[in-house]
Amino acid sequence: MRAWYCASAAAGLSLFAGVAGAQDLKFAPGEDARFNWASYDEFAASHDLSGQTLSIFGPWLGPDKELIESVLAYFEAATGADVRYAGSDSFEQQIVIDAQAGSASNIAVFPQPGLLKDLAAKGLVTPLDSATADWVRENYAAGDSWVDLGSTNGELYGFFYKADLKSLVWYVPENFEDAGYEVPETMEDLLALSQQIVDDGGTPWCIGLGSGDATGWPATDWVEDLLLRLQSPEVYDGWVTNEIPFDDPRVVEAIDAFGTFARNDDWVAGGAAAVATTDFRDSPQGLFQSPPACYLHKQASFIPSFFPAGTEVGLDADFFYFPAWEEKDLGKPVLGAGTVFGITNDSPAAHAFIDFLKTPIAHEVWMAQSGFLTPFKGVNLDAYATDSQRQMGEILLGATTFRFDASDLMPGRVGAGAFWTGMVDYVGGEDAEAVAKNIQGVWNALN
Amino acid sequence: MGQILSALGVVILGVAACAGYFWGSNVILDRIYPPRGPNAGANIMRANTIRPWLFVGPALFALTIYLIYPVFASVWLSLHDRSGETFVGTSNYTWMLNDPEFRQSFRNNMLWLLIVPAGATFFGLLAAAVTDRIWWGNIAKSLIFLPMAISFIGASVIWKFIYDYRGEGQPEIGLLNAIVVGLGGEPHAWITMPFWNNVFLMVILIWIQTGFAMVILSAALRGIPEETIEAAVLDGASPLQIFFKIKVPQIWGTIAVVWTTITILVLKVFDIVLAMTNGQWNTQVLANLMFNWMFRGGGDFGRGAAIAVIIMVLVIPIMIWNIRNASKEQ
Amino acid sequence: MEGIAGRNPLVTWLVHISAALLVIIWTVPTMGLFISSLRDKDQIAVSGWWTALSGSEQNLVERTAAPDEAVERDGTWVLEGNLFGENEGTVSAFGWRAQEPAAFQPGETAELRGGETLTVEKDGTYILSSVEQPEGKRGQRIFFTSLQPPKFTLDNYRNVLFSQGIGRSFINSLTVTIPSTVIPILIAAFAAYALAWMPFPGRALLLATVVGLLVVPLQMSLIPLLQMYNSVGGFLGVPAKTYAGIWLAHTGFGLPLAIYLLRNYMAGLPREIIESARVDGASDFEIFVKIILPLSFPALASFAIFQFLWVWNDLLIAMVFLGNNEEQLVLTGRLRELLGSRGGNWEILTASAFVTIIIPLLVFITLQRYLVRGLLAGSVKGG
Repeated sequence: MRAWYCASAAAGLSLFAGVAGAQDLKFAPGEDARFNWASYDEFAASHDLSGQTLSIFGPWLGPDKELIESVLAYFEAATGADVRYAGSDSFEQQIVIDAQAGSASNIAVFPQPGLLKDLAAKGLVTPLDSATADWVRENYAAGDSWVDLGSTNGELYGFFYKADLKSLVWYVPENFEDAGYEVPETMEDLLALSQQIVDDGGTPWCIGLGSGDATGWPATDWVEDLLLRLQSPEVYDGWVTNEIPFDDPRVVEAIDAFGTFARNDDWVAGGAAAVATTDFRDSPQGLFQSPPACYLHKQASFIPSFFPAGTEVGLDADFFYFPAWEEKDLGKPVLGAGTVFGITNDSPAAHAFIDFLKTPIAHEVWMAQSGFLTPFKGVNLDAYATDSQRQMGEILLGATTFRFDASDLMPGRVGAGAFWTGMVDYVGGEDAEAVAKNIQGVWNALN
Repeated sequence: MGQILSALGVVILGVAACAGYFWGSNVILDRIYPPRGPNAGANIMRANTIRPWLFVGPALFALTIYLIYPVFASVWLSLHDRSGETFVGTSNYTWMLNDPEFRQSFRNNMLWLLIVPAGATFFGLLAAAVTDRIWWGNIAKSLIFLPMAISFIGASVIWKFIYDYRGEGQPEIGLLNAIVVGLGGEPHAWITMPFWNNVFLMVILIWIQTGFAMVILSAALRGIPEETIEAAVLDGASPLQIFFKIKVPQIWGTIAVVWTTITILVLKVFDIVLAMTNGQWNTQVLANLMFNWMFRGGGDFGRGAAIAVIIMVLVIPIMIWNIRNASKEQ
Repeated sequence: MEGIAGRNPLVTWLVHISAALLVIIWTVPTMGLFISSLRDKDQIAVSGWWTALSGSEQNLVERTAAPDEAVERDGTWVLEGNLFGENEGTVSAFGWRAQEPAAFQPGETAELRGGETLTVEKDGTYILSSVEQPEGKRGQRIFFTSLQPPKFTLDNYRNVLFSQGIGRSFINSLTVTIPSTVIPILIAAFAAYALAWMPFPGRALLLATVVGLLVVPLQMSLIPLLQMYNSVGGFLGVPAKTYAGIWLAHTGFGLPLAIYLLRNYMAGLPREIIESARVDGASDFEIFVKIILPLSFPALASFAIFQFLWVWNDLLIAMVFLGNNEEQLVLTGRLRELLGSRGGNWEILTASAFVTIIIPLLVFITLQRYLVRGLLAGSVKGG
């Protein structure tokens, strides 16, 4: 009875399954010269996937979801495939459940390469061919490191698409003008500026660590950026692989450097107690309040998505590079991250989609909108929607010391667990050394 | 709409299929062993030994697949490594005993087990006692019962408006902080206050479960024979004395039932913690920890399953108590 | 009982007051959500919902018209307009520097950094005049304080129902809930009858198993079950995450309670009815359908409400056994997603939270009587 019942139910449902929404293309093919339409036509000519479906599962919701769907529409138009994107706030849990059970989507969009590697090590991700690895090595700025980041046991499993730049501080130029502040060039200046804002009766920083299940992650970016500015990149690399333990004094120093910003009631809007409970998406709102709740907000390049509607980056808000200490002489290190696409359920369409990501058009469509950077050297930088995005893109392409977000590279239980909660505890008043010891303890207990 | 229609269609189909199964299997059984003819007696006997199994069959099948098999699968997984492939003996359990987060969750869970059933039963008893004595008691009961209908995730949104914290100097939009400030106190970020934040989360569950306790205890209170109470009144006992010395002992059995029912719920609850704090600020509980180990950061089924087994073990005494109670009634 | 309380007015008052207090404490949180969901989105975030009726003072920022709209009048360049646009409002103070948003009273004239002068009137009209032709892409920022009248609106609901996908999820939730409520009742009713009235070997053991299974934490079933679903789905050539799958999952998880409740109730029915029907030659099937089922209606209804609430409010099982695409995302899942992506948009959160709880509330209020009756059958027996 049961089997029959299941089958009939499934049949009933499949009647309603074919209602995929064909989205209009954001930029009409062939019209705008900024786009590499040749690459689009060429891809369309060589791929026909009509009748096939491709499911994609990722962490993008809200505005980001609309953006990725605007890119997917080109893949659909070019190949005739039916693409379904689903986003979830609990992506990290869901993908593990699905992959383990064998019901994952064709493509998964990992916000952390660490998670992809975990799944790849369990044999749940289909490796990409060696041609793809060569392609990334050749066409991405700092290509070797992107290949390494996406590989496990010498095989490439993940394709990086959409990068973020972390080392940015956001501010409202008019507020600076009104108060007579200058954009700081060095960390010394930045600290002095913060103190000056306090002396003028304002609050320098908005910091929010809240992020639902992932509460705490914004603090990891702070610590990583500060470590890169306090120590050489080699120390950073050692820390990522745990050759340098988490409770090493050099790491503890970086945590405490974050504390000078976040644990200082005068320096952070709402006081230190509000840091952990404020949602990171709400946090930048303080820049735009009247009177300003804060003047500075350190966050990655994607954050303008969460600025108030109508805010134009470059005019209403702008960014500057999170500066390094002049006296340390460590150059201008750049911290970044990226989302990586992996094939979690093999199908011809999935491979075709990875090929699609190698076309300039797949990058340019999102570049021309917002919140997207790419290390792909083959794109037309003019496609960036704004000058400021182009500036970020150039920072990324020209980085000398580029380091990937450490928390994304550490084992999931550390980088997406103990590190987060540890930072929440630290902001709550716990001792930096104790927090670091705790995190190292979790790392030691991994098997 | 089409989807709803297809769902309704499936319901009708399913009902028809189920009815068809029960009816059809009965008919077939009666064909094979007709209750008349030369062997009528023996046939009825045989049919009657088979028939109960036809009745419980589908239920037994579903229970086995959805509840019994997973219990054994979990025990098996808990003895294996993160991917569930290599046998590792009891190492997951030894890891657990040494893990500070597990110990913290265990401690918190014990707190939940102490406070939530006690709180819900206490308030339920109080509500039952007062609402039984007033003319608008039924309305009052309905209103107190209402939170039972609200999902944990909905309740979390509701309580965010109670515990919200806005930082000093800004107008508070959280009710609790507004009251505290109104009384001249300092606002606090309630859900980050160690230890007490656990209590604040428990309050949500107490809020949800009090209605359940109230309804059942109220019925039990009404079931107490009038004569006992009248005798006490004649002896000059005060209402409070009557309540605590006569009524409460009379409904002791029901209180125990309510208590255990809520205890079981507490052990399984994780939605509130997940939505409010996700175990940060020392609010972790076992069910959420298990979920974390199973599905986060790459997942470790061995450890997740080991924690699940611990939850099972904690439930076993209640299970036995339940079973003994149930068989006593027979 | 009334008689006892009636004798002592003080006790009567105490009882009334404590009952009123309990009711207030238990309803205020939900009321807060409801009121907030009807408020204007700008007000929710700046003032508590309990101030909803009193209006709120807000610090706002607007820009003047763009510089290229300036007109030359008597040698000065003038930009005119109204801060409130089409709406109405009252300005109580204004300023041009972010640091001093309330430096000037309405009607006063402020001198800006570049020598321009700015005047803002009470009704929001402003005049910005300068000697030189203004340049730039953006108008001058004007900070002003304005008393906003209390505003109630259905916009939040309109927004949530028609553009946040809640409407779609509502239908998905119904699709999940209806069969998940009906199927376990059918299966459980037969099993409960057998356990209550049909003697067979192993009956006591079976009953004990059902009672024991009441307490199994269902989180532990997720992985093994999902793995099984995939192999079954693969075998039948259907996707693993289907509505049929989640119906059966809810059936399995709901069965122990269903069997337990129904058996307790059925066992309490008078033996004579069943015996006499047996004597009359009725088969067990007939007895069940014609006698037991109608008599057990309160227990059936009670379990139905329970299961309905449980399925409707469930997040975990839906997260695991149903996909999270447009066609399958249920209300609780949607709400959780909104909590994540719209963490700061209280107007969306409150309205969608209220939409998710409205159906269970209605079901609950209308059918409460049955729920209570069935609950009592399940737990007060012998108490």
